[in-house]
Amino acid sequence: MTTADQVLLSVTMLRPEEKLLLGALRAEGLTARPLLMEDLAEVVAGRTGGPPPGLAVIRNLSHRDAISVSRRLEYAGVTTLNRSSVIEACNDKGLQSLLFARHGIPHPVTRHAFSYDQVRAAVGELGMPAVVKPVSGSWGRGVTKMANAECVEAWAGGRESADATGKLFPVVVQAYVDKPGHDLRVVVVGRTPVVAIQRASEDWRTNTHLGASVERVEVSAEIDKLCQQVVDVLGPGFYGVDLVEDRATGELLVLEVNANPEFAKSSERHGVDVAGLYAAYVAEQLSVNAAA
Amino acid sequence: MTTAIAAPKCLVCDTEFEVQGDWEKGEITECTACGQEHEVVEKSAAGVRLDLAPEVEEDWGE
Repeated sequence: MTTADQVLLSVTMLRPEEKLLLGALRAEGLTARPLLMEDLAEVVAGRTGGPPPGLAVIRNLSHRDAISVSRRLEYAGVTTLNRSSVIEACNDKGLQSLLFARHGIPHPVTRHAFSYDQVRAAVGELGMPAVVKPVSGSWGRGVTKMANAECVEAWAGGRESADATGKLFPVVVQAYVDKPGHDLRVVVVGRTPVVAIQRASEDWRTNTHLGASVERVEVSAEIDKLCQQVVDVLGPGFYGVDLVEDRATGELLVLEVNANPEFAKSSERHGVDVAGLYAAYVAEQLSVNAAA
Repeated sequence: MTTAIAAPKCLVCDTEFEVQGDWEKGEITECTACGQEHEVVEKSAAGVRLDLAPEVEEDWGE
């Protein structure tokens, strides 16, 4: 046993995804074990009773924990996948939009709003419908389509009653993309888009959590190009890249990037061993680190 | 919170869980009778301890 084969799998809890990952990491000949929040203090103190970990795979469901664990491990000298700075960017739709704009990655026009009046102004600027999103949120939570002025006032009124002082700002206001009833989720391992799935729904939000159906599609040259642009900015890692097609222009846009993509259910459908591919990438990174 | 040792039972309906050899600490398992999710909080020679699985938090997600 050496540091070079020690992998921690940081989790909030062990879901099917993480169970698959643990098995795949062990199948790569690595010594992999789950890391729960209650165990973190001993790990960062170097009191694990064995070689220090060579790498930690961050799979915390909790955004707050994912950033905290990855930061603390990095400061303790442990490489994390994904890196804490990447997790931070991926867990904030506002930060992502700034990165995309800075690096010329196609993305719906997005504005930050730090007050109710700024939301109204941004919706007025972008036109209706527009979409308001909390900067941090998953599974479609809090994503609201502003079809008209009444929607904006209903949203603001409801939210003000729960958050009169505006502590929950900023939000992002985004140009609504009229998509052809589906979007795309692309899983990226390292630099490689390993599988793309089309998520179709009658709801305008196409999260699988909201019941969207999934079907595997080919990774086209355009999909690959957008994923490479994302990796060029964030660095190689493990991502769920969400792409959306503008029905009017046919152009693909990067909607967002997730640093902790779910894959267990969709893997059953498309047959790509995402856990195995990720485990192989982890083993490769450990070898690179050991040789450095 | 009440927990179970050795032969864990569902904390909602008392149905006995069949302990799986490959259970890991932190793993989520469902009661086959009522569907209640439980978390494996301890696994040792003494047995397995289960708690109710944590509720979804507002910052959970992908």
